[in-house]
Amino acid sequence: MIEGARDIVCDTGPILHLDELGCLDLLADFKEILLTVSVVKEIEKHRPVALTVKLPFLVLRAHKPADERLAAMCRIFALDRGETESLVIMESRPSAIFLTDDASARMVAERMGFRVHGTIGVIVRAIRRGRKSPEEVLSILSSIPSRSTLFIKSALLKEIALRIKKEFNI
Amino acid sequence: MKTVQTEVPEALYNKAVALVNEGWFRDEKDVFAEAIRRFLDTHQSELMQKFVRDDIEWGLHGND
Repeated sequence: MIEGARDIVCDTGPILHLDELGCLDLLADFKEILLTVSVVKEIEKHRPVALTVKLPFLVLRAHKPADERLAAMCRIFALDRGETESLVIMESRPSAIFLTDDASARMVAERMGFRVHGTIGVIVRAIRRGRKSPEEVLSILSSIPSRSTLFIKSALLKEIALRIKKEFNI
Repeated sequence: MKTVQTEVPEALYNKAVALVNEGWFRDEKDVFAEAIRRFLDTHQSELMQKFVRDDIEWGLHGND
């Protein structure tokens, strides 16, 4: 754990995708990884091995949203239970970062003023944190279509790779 | 209009039927069309590209 590091509230997607790519350990330098009961159930269903990785997981029970706006948006955008509960946790931990790969959940989080990122951000962040070299990150990114269930269009993946190469003069 | 044949979980279908029975929609087809429209609204290509670009910026130049 890094001193001053933030908590993250994690939706199911990033845990699955990072584990599929063999880099779930990139979450190790966050303070705590807060998971809701529903998210844990989804991970247990789809990729139970991810929960055996030694990480600062903390499972929390969430109730109903305190903010009526959040409750309404979760319904309007048809967020599932895991996403909704994660956003409820964010209500009580506004300095945390919400990790999700779901576009609707991300949109609701942004509208609520929460900080929100996804799997791609965590992978690229590994360079800045000194946990991976730019070349290693490029290799991970290029393996996304073959190794993970994260969908990202190939043109955008190429754009990300170009951006990293430009940033690090590769 | 295009006709699409698909399978949905029974529980999901029953919820759609309940909305129709309550008078919120004319029929189940309207429920599913509205659901798809909403999904497409939040999954526009430009929006998802923006999310990824925001992530790259945070990844490269964020402070946490």
